[in-house]
Amino acid sequence: MFLYRLVYVLMPIGIFLSLLWVPPANILGDASRILYFHVPVAWVSFLAFLVAGLHSIALLIKKSEILYREAMAYNSAAIGMVFTVLTVITGSIWAKVSWGHFWNWDPRETSIVILMLIYIAYFSLFSALKSNPNRWGISSVYLIISMIIAPFLIFIVPRVYPSLHPDTIINQDKKIHLEASMRITLFFLVVTFTLLYGYIYKITNKLSLIIIKLRSSHDI
Amino acid sequence: MIRRSLNFVIRGLILQNRIVKLLKKDFYIEFRSRASINISLAFAGITTLSVSLTSATMNLPFRVHSILIWVIIFFSAMNSLSHIFIREEEEGTSIFLSIHSEAEEIYIAKLLFNFILFIVITVVVTPLYLFFMQIWPENFIFFASSVFCGSTALSSITTTLGAIVAKTSMRSSLFTVISFPLTIPVLWISINLTASSLEGGSVDLLNLLFLLAFSGVIVSFSYLLFKFIWMEQ
Amino acid sequence: MHERYLIEASNLSRRFGKSRIFRGISFSVESGECFFITGPNGSGKSTLVQIIAGLQKPSEGKLAIKLNGKEILESLWRHIGFASPAMNLYERLTVYENASFAFRGKDKSLINHYISLFGLGKHKDKEARILSSGLRQRLRLITAMINSPGIVLLDEPGSNLDVEGKDVLFREIEKIKKESLVIIASNDPEELKLCHKGIDLAKQNS
Repeated sequence: MFLYRLVYVLMPIGIFLSLLWVPPANILGDASRILYFHVPVAWVSFLAFLVAGLHSIALLIKKSEILYREAMAYNSAAIGMVFTVLTVITGSIWAKVSWGHFWNWDPRETSIVILMLIYIAYFSLFSALKSNPNRWGISSVYLIISMIIAPFLIFIVPRVYPSLHPDTIINQDKKIHLEASMRITLFFLVVTFTLLYGYIYKITNKLSLIIIKLRSSHDI
Repeated sequence: MIRRSLNFVIRGLILQNRIVKLLKKDFYIEFRSRASINISLAFAGITTLSVSLTSATMNLPFRVHSILIWVIIFFSAMNSLSHIFIREEEEGTSIFLSIHSEAEEIYIAKLLFNFILFIVITVVVTPLYLFFMQIWPENFIFFASSVFCGSTALSSITTTLGAIVAKTSMRSSLFTVISFPLTIPVLWISINLTASSLEGGSVDLLNLLFLLAFSGVIVSFSYLLFKFIWMEQ
Repeated sequence: MHERYLIEASNLSRRFGKSRIFRGISFSVESGECFFITGPNGSGKSTLVQIIAGLQKPSEGKLAIKLNGKEILESLWRHIGFASPAMNLYERLTVYENASFAFRGKDKSLINHYISLFGLGKHKDKEARILSSGLRQRLRLITAMINSPGIVLLDEPGSNLDVEGKDVLFREIEKIKKESLVIIASNDPEELKLCHKGIDLAKQNS
């Protein structure tokens, strides 16, 4: 828990680094600074999805502490959903600034939208299973199946069809040589956001554990 | 060692026997009620006719033809694909089914049933579409195999999702929501393949294999995970 | 070799969401015994039978089903015959087809034997959807007993049956309970008389 509390120190430093310390990129100017938030947020949305999927696998293998493990997978997905929305918002602001349109259906944009749809589908499934005692099993299977399909979406489809998106400006941007200070800042913020995710995740898990314990002590 | 492998073969045969029994049961019920296949075929026929009625004189690009073919196939099949599991839940026969068969047998039988159903629908829809729109693929074998591989991949993923949906409280509306993000990659690649086959492009073996590999991965994972959907473990 | 089954339940409980159905159920039954489960409506008789059949899982407690001392961990359904009002048959299949769907043996004449034993001989080729509820109940009992399973679980076996149907049922239970393990969940005193031990869920829960 102490490790995660570091976020209180690191986040102000990260904001300082990204908004004041780093020099602006040569073409985009100060608007490019959104990169330092967009990339970490996108990373966390995939990480949260992965964590939720791994918890589902652990749940199906161990079949113990069902309520808690189910809540852990759900919490990670819930945090991931919020971060996915943030990714879409920051990404479309950046797209507006650099390309003039909020949305272009570039492969990366497509994959984040599909990730968001998977999250939405998972939550709809979860709420539709409310009266089913086997909710943990079914929702875990859905997460695992979508975790298997996600790599197909994120890595293979954009690569198989580069021709669909002739100028993927993001990729060109990626090729722009990032200066050392920019790299340090980006890396620093990725670490900080990962810690932020971990911190929120721990707190929500504690909360779920309290709710589960309260419920089970309530009726016995 | 020999005895063990013999035992394995015998178990496999018994399993196969049960699967044939389950398949036979599903086909009997389907043929006697004809609920899902009739609606699917009617849907397919009506949409194909209305598309051709409104646009046969237009010279649509091949990509649009390919999108239309897949949209018609997908939406006509969608209803009956989830129906195979929903029927067991709605009629309350799932206890009877699971007290007399292994979860894996149920999965394989339903997968085969859905696969056959999907193939029947494509076999009806595609010639009908080609006939009414008066187009002919340059490379017929490529075209047919793109439709076949796409159908395989779609039926393998929708079988699992149909089983999931059957266990929830709001069935068919949820099916659209949860199947959309997971069927997108398959539909996307199938549409591209079919379009390129209509245009007379060269055979894209890599993507055909991709579709088959996708189905293989999904089927093997679903085989392992099916019992968790079917019953509380 | 003679197959001996043993069911041991210790401290079973089952909850649905926030509400609890029963708790603290413990018993043990062996082959050659008949065990009854009784209790008022809503006390969880059917749920308990379904838990023993492996269709549901207990929320707490342990249920062990052993064959010759070894616990059965997979394919439990191969050892079980099950009939319950919650179990619907395939409406579009005929009586014979429903029975043969449940049948796992080789000798197909057994199917006809059981069908005529329960007096469904002349309805053999009718689809199950046109049968009356009493005839359906007979068909359910056929599917439960047709494989001569080691464990027979009957939930409300006598419901909707007429005198003749009950006669056949009681005769069959008397016959199989010498070798098999029979569990009957019911409120009918006549059916409970078949068993010499059992539990009353009303008393367990209070």
